[in-house]
Amino acid sequence: MKLPTYTVALFWFISLFLIWTTPVSAEETTSGDHVKVRWLAPDTFASGSTEHIGFYFEVDPKWHVYWRNAGDSGAAPRFDIQATGATVDPVKWPFPTRLPVAHLTNLGYEGNVAYLLPITPEAGAESLSLTVDLEWLVCKIDCIPGFGQMTLTRPIGKTANWKSGDLALRDNFLNRVPQASSSNLWSVQSLTSTSATEITLTLSDATKQATIFPLDADLIAAAEPKVKQVSNGMSYTFERVSANQVATTDFVVTDGEKAWRLSNVPIQAAAAQPIPVEATQPLWLLLLAAFVGGMILNLMPCVFPVLSIKMMGLVQSPASKRLSEAFAYTAGVLVTFGALGGLLLLLRASGSAIGWGFQLQSAPVILALITLFWLMALSFSGVFEFGHRLMTAAGNHRGGAFITGVLAVFVATPCTGPFMGVALGAAATLPPTSAMAIFLGLGAGLAAPFVLLCLSPALLRRLPKPGAWMVTLQQFLAFPLYLTVIWLLWVLGRLVGDNGWLIASLLMVSLVFAIWLGRSASKARRWMAAGIAVIALAAAFTSVITTPASSQKTLSTSSWQSFDAAKIAEARANNQAVFVDYTAAWCITCQVNKKLVLDTDPIQALFKENKVLLVRADWTHHDAAITESLAQFGRNSVPVYAWYAPGTKQAELLPQLLQAGMIRDLFNTP
Amino acid sequence: MFQQVMKTTLQSLSFAALIAVPAFAFSAAQPGQPAPDFSEVDASGKTQTLADYKGEWLVVEWFNKDCPYVRKHYGSENMQALQKKYTDKGVKWVSVISSAFGRQGHLEADEAIAEAKSNGSALSAAYLLDEDGGMGRAFGAKATPHMFVINPEGVVVYAGAIDDNSSANPAVIAKSTNYVAAALDAGMKGDAIQVASTRAYGCSVKY
Repeated sequence: MKLPTYTVALFWFISLFLIWTTPVSAEETTSGDHVKVRWLAPDTFASGSTEHIGFYFEVDPKWHVYWRNAGDSGAAPRFDIQATGATVDPVKWPFPTRLPVAHLTNLGYEGNVAYLLPITPEAGAESLSLTVDLEWLVCKIDCIPGFGQMTLTRPIGKTANWKSGDLALRDNFLNRVPQASSSNLWSVQSLTSTSATEITLTLSDATKQATIFPLDADLIAAAEPKVKQVSNGMSYTFERVSANQVATTDFVVTDGEKAWRLSNVPIQAAAAQPIPVEATQPLWLLLLAAFVGGMILNLMPCVFPVLSIKMMGLVQSPASKRLSEAFAYTAGVLVTFGALGGLLLLLRASGSAIGWGFQLQSAPVILALITLFWLMALSFSGVFEFGHRLMTAAGNHRGGAFITGVLAVFVATPCTGPFMGVALGAAATLPPTSAMAIFLGLGAGLAAPFVLLCLSPALLRRLPKPGAWMVTLQQFLAFPLYLTVIWLLWVLGRLVGDNGWLIASLLMVSLVFAIWLGRSASKARRWMAAGIAVIALAAAFTSVITTPASSQKTLSTSSWQSFDAAKIAEARANNQAVFVDYTAAWCITCQVNKKLVLDTDPIQALFKENKVLLVRADWTHHDAAITESLAQFGRNSVPVYAWYAPGTKQAELLPQLLQAGMIRDLFNTP
Repeated sequence: MFQQVMKTTLQSLSFAALIAVPAFAFSAAQPGQPAPDFSEVDASGKTQTLADYKGEWLVVEWFNKDCPYVRKHYGSENMQALQKKYTDKGVKWVSVISSAFGRQGHLEADEAIAEAKSNGSALSAAYLLDEDGGMGRAFGAKATPHMFVINPEGVVVYAGAIDDNSSANPAVIAKSTNYVAAALDAGMKGDAIQVASTRAYGCSVKY
């Protein structure tokens, strides 16, 4: 038989009613389903000194009670305290553990716990007494609220007089109460609202992992944060409960034994809303810069060979074909720039702190580029020919030029040349339509010389006549490509460690072997060749994807410190000069500046003489702190060179192509 | 062959560019975001979707008849009174049961219809039976009661607790500020909603 629901409800409320209204006789303990509560208190209190006493919850195995922030569900216990002969301070909460419930997380205590109450006897009082109304929630999967009243009456003497067992229990839980953050193992680097759905706390010391609990349940979810090593420590990314705009928030951090309170941590806005430095520059100027920057890209060592060979092939073609090739090429360039720009804007809208060149922060992309350049270099050297096959591939002419366009963009992305930095930086802050215009402006610039040559017979006539020299040129142009491969191998090594070299080199040899095998007349051998190529590619990409990102931050010279915003701020506060080199392994311009200017002996000596704090912000890997720092300059690409003269408020940005004279000028006071 | 290789390479390129993107999770029904689309069969066998409520104010409530916090608001008639007050003004109100089979608060269709009759709720539809928890997860429903207010444009304007007092004691209701009522009152007048997001208190949803 089943009781009607209302009968059950009625019974339930009558019992609750009775609990609340029945005068509870003065008891030092209280209890409810699965919970017994008693005092941890001395028999005598010491006059004038603050004592911590405990509400000791003895909870049945597997049941739990909650922390002050109960997490996704549940409720913290409540204490309504009336005191005579003493004053009480707010209850203190030992640090909790995470209690997973399905995909939700609660914060509470597995097993017994004491909530601690600081109490100070009043001067002159001979005894103190407390009356406390308690309400708690105890849960296993189902939850049962409990209610009760406890009293405590004790004499006040010269010294506190504890039962040793109770004192030990009290001390055990008092040790777990968060202390003020001054004695903290970790210091807060930043708290950044990385997106509408995430908030990232960065703590200094990366050697010891902290367990962190948020206090504001309305703002931050209780679930375990995503932990990541970053250049200036360890970052903990929490899921946001709401987009509530608050200025500060609190956390409790623990090493598992002791705990500390991180109070009033200021929340910084995401890098998506940096200072609009570029606002003063009109859009047309930015577009012009983008266009010129794009044109200069054509001369970069990786782009130039690809385009010149394509161009040579077209010299003898009829004008109509050249026209269609030019259009296909332009379409390839613009579509790719548009797609990359769109992806960047999409990520920006979602609040991710990323910047231009983000493609190259990924090992699989680098490996793909190595493969591509290796095959192109081999074919330029005449090891095998793909030009003919590509041309004759069923009416695939336009496809060919289109892909050349796509290729040109991908190989050009590492080379942030002059003019591009300003335009790309502006694109990171402008509204989407203007930002897209800048991306397309870059694309138009990249495509322009090729299109111009295709469309103007006059210009085309000026090109040398095709002949045997073209083969020589092609073979010569293979060498910049080989160099590019070596550089990319180095980048891969920086990204995933020594294994990166090994994986990529094995892939390169396998591909050459497959090509050699594939030249055979035997069909079986050709199949085998294709098989080997596919297996080698699959194996290489899988291992690169599964290899964890290398965390090594080897600095080429020890004079450079790794990026740490707090350290920079400290140095500036002490009137020390600071030079920040925003760099990445995949940025060629950066490497050139490093070798030719920054890491040369005279310049290093100059820095040392002037006691400059040298900071190298390595952006080879995705790094939110560095991205954010770049955004403050209105940039989101490297290189950027920031110079903080002693005592100045603002950084001076140096040109992207450094010369030793520019550095010397920093120290020549006029 | 080269073309094949090239194609593979380009595919890897675009694939790699995609996986290089840091993953970000859309967390559920947040104020200011469009409400998650849902399609659930209610206890009367009718399919309920978000589109059915386009152009109307909609309250979505997570329900578990055996949860003490739900009983706080039903035993005191607080929830029923709220439902009646706002459905009389044309607001639509649906209650969702996301308890999995065999877990606390799970109801079969006939039990759910009997429950609605006995607790005297004033709902716009029979209980939505979200046995697989799909709708609950899409909304990010964490507790019972967890309340969502959706405006006629289908945008979530409030998500969180029913009021500001997480006690299980019904006696505190009279002194509590009801967030759902405040959101509906302000929203329907066209005013800004003061508190749009809070931590829902109560029992965990029994997924």
